[in-house]
Amino acid sequence: MVLEIIVMVKQVPDSQEVVIDPVTMNLNRSLTRNVTNRADENALEAALRLKDSVGANVTVVSMGPPQAETTMIECLARGADRAILASDRFFGGADTYPTGLTLAATISKIGKFDIIIAGEETSDSSTGHVGPGVAEFLDIDQVTYTSKVEYKDGYVIAERELEDGTEVVKVPTPVLVTVLLNSNVPRRQTLRRKIDAIRKGFEVWDHDRIGLQPEWVGVRGSPTIVRRMRPIKERERAAKKIELSAVGDLVKELYEKNVLKLEVDS
Amino acid sequence: MEIEEKLALLNYKTDPEYAHITVNPSICETCPDHFCTFACPAKCYTLIEGKLNFKYEDCVECGTCDVACSHGSVKWTNPKDGHGIKYKFG
Amino acid sequence: MSEFDAIVVGAGPAGSSSAIKMASGGLNVLLVERGDPPGSKNVSGGILWGKDLSSIIPDWEKSAPLERYVERKVTSFLTHDSEIAIDFKTKKFQQDKTGYSVLRTRLDGYLARKAQQAGAMLVTGVTVDSLAMKDGKVVGVINEGETITSDVVILAEGPNPRVAISAGLREKPNDKTVAVGVKQVYKLPENVINDRFNLRGNAGFAGEYVISFLPNNVFAGGFLYTNKDTISVGVVINLETLRKDGKTHSFDIMEQFVQHPYIAPFLEGGQLQEYSAHFVYEGGYESLPKPYGNGYMMVGDTAGFSFSNGMILQGMNYAISSGILAGESAIEAKKDNDFSEVSLSRYWKKLEVSPAILDKKNFRGINSVVWSGLVHRTIPALLETSLQNMLYETGAPKKHLSQILLKSMSSTGVSSKDMMIQGYRLMRRM
Repeated sequence: MVLEIIVMVKQVPDSQEVVIDPVTMNLNRSLTRNVTNRADENALEAALRLKDSVGANVTVVSMGPPQAETTMIECLARGADRAILASDRFFGGADTYPTGLTLAATISKIGKFDIIIAGEETSDSSTGHVGPGVAEFLDIDQVTYTSKVEYKDGYVIAERELEDGTEVVKVPTPVLVTVLLNSNVPRRQTLRRKIDAIRKGFEVWDHDRIGLQPEWVGVRGSPTIVRRMRPIKERERAAKKIELSAVGDLVKELYEKNVLKLEVDS
Repeated sequence: MEIEEKLALLNYKTDPEYAHITVNPSICETCPDHFCTFACPAKCYTLIEGKLNFKYEDCVECGTCDVACSHGSVKWTNPKDGHGIKYKFG
Repeated sequence: MSEFDAIVVGAGPAGSSSAIKMASGGLNVLLVERGDPPGSKNVSGGILWGKDLSSIIPDWEKSAPLERYVERKVTSFLTHDSEIAIDFKTKKFQQDKTGYSVLRTRLDGYLARKAQQAGAMLVTGVTVDSLAMKDGKVVGVINEGETITSDVVILAEGPNPRVAISAGLREKPNDKTVAVGVKQVYKLPENVINDRFNLRGNAGFAGEYVISFLPNNVFAGGFLYTNKDTISVGVVINLETLRKDGKTHSFDIMEQFVQHPYIAPFLEGGQLQEYSAHFVYEGGYESLPKPYGNGYMMVGDTAGFSFSNGMILQGMNYAISSGILAGESAIEAKKDNDFSEVSLSRYWKKLEVSPAILDKKNFRGINSVVWSGLVHRTIPALLETSLQNMLYETGAPKKHLSQILLKSMSSTGVSSKDMMIQGYRLMRRM
């Protein structure tokens, strides 16, 4: 019996190009191009490595507008077997709650799954809610912030990066795992796979297909409202050239400004 | 404006695995001119204490170094998989 | 049986134009672009001259992302302290818009979408590693060890064509065939640009400069083009003289140009948005590669189609026209089901009577003039000294122009005989 893996991905504005319009205080998307959320690329790679080692069917799931097509094709071109985009005008304006609900409902509709893998967070909102939210909606275990995911005999063995070390956990499937950004190097798309992906295409599911009421999702299903956004003013940095002989003075200055603290061993 | 500030404006998708340009240090060591350090518009080639230092991460993919190096040290290829410079205006 | 009728390597103006032509003609086309999205690897000074797009996109002047049309064309010499310029403005440009400023990420994205709409399959973010060969014929492309087959491959890789070079289809670029283009884009409000350049509405300014103030005989040209709310400014650096000098940094030349007393005011208050660099193809008629062979054709910069005479810099127009001609040739070859060298020689026959080749042929040897001491040092110095002598009021009695010229020539170290000979050559080649 082959392992069923779901990978959750999102298309986000390229974080290197995000500009806040100083007048409207909104995200200026006119110059921003969309890319696949980088941590989600790591999630897909983690899934594809499981596929390589123990054999698996990898299905990519995303919620987003039709432009997310490029992300869906890209995931197929890296090696995913199937891609489903939950896309519907009712899904627009969703916060993390209905997003998690929509993805969980989509995954339920797919049917059997053993492992769900997601990036730790997306670069456009950085909440880290959606992965854990999906686990809660589906009522399954979750392992977050992992750097390595393995599978053996009905269990996922994952390494979690903690502040003071690495924790290895063993969890029975079905389970949801979130994967750290840069925890692996995603494999390349190939021309062959990309041509095949474009020919094969991906599936687009609307609220009806997924079995969700319009009032549960999108902006209507969102408990949070963004009142205002403002850019943070960049702090002026004073660049100073320091001669080696003046390092002592610099340490003293930093100490006086409370940047450095002196700790004396007792 | 310093070149470093100009390069900071650019969007790169850096390939952590594949350096699309490589140099042969043993050739560079004996190089009489190090013309690459003058020709490369992104200052990827610098001399540090007389030794050539090269970083592919700042490359804007113009190809100049490949022409500049007349000693056969530079091996130039295109980056793979959409990596490298991503111009916004062009 | 091949998987595709044609594979196009590179979705710039040349590649996309050829894909549009072929897909509209019913061919099964794959357009592969290593940049993601298309245009993100590409740089142009930024004026698209001519109307070559009309035959494949009739409404392009309405639908393409064009910035401004050229109404004011400046050709200028910049010395250390002075600028001597021809400033040509004409309402005729307003009637017949023969040049538009463009930004490549926008234009190339538009053209690639058009190719897709015409039915071509567009694949981005994938690099073609090499050509697949069989019995001396190109039969497709290779990526990550896998071959995708096609009857014909159109190489539209730009001026640094790695696939064509590695297949031995053309020479590696060298100091004589390429110059280094370095460019900066500044953001400025539309109305500020209009005021600063004396423009109204959609009219634009295109300036080309001989940068004659660089130390140590390094030759470089400059350009400055207005876009809607940005300005494209850059330098084109001659590698031969940069190498001979061996002390000047390419990035410093860019900085010196934008700091010149008669360039800096144009950019004042502008926010630098982007710094970029790209080859500018400079090779003459003699260094043109043979642009076709068994199962392949080369278009645009890959085939060496560009033009510069010091007054005007062109490339995208030839890219588009050669792309269309290659597309036409592929459609005809498909009808005969013959993609051999003999069959594809029809492409060369079309090129021979098109500006892409005619301009190269008629302006043979122009590069030795464009990149000469005469243009880059002697003429600017002579003009500067003469004008100074003519226009400076010193209180001394005035002199005739001929006297001034002779005196200026002796002070700049040119003999009148030299000047005559070189001047004649220049006029003939331009």
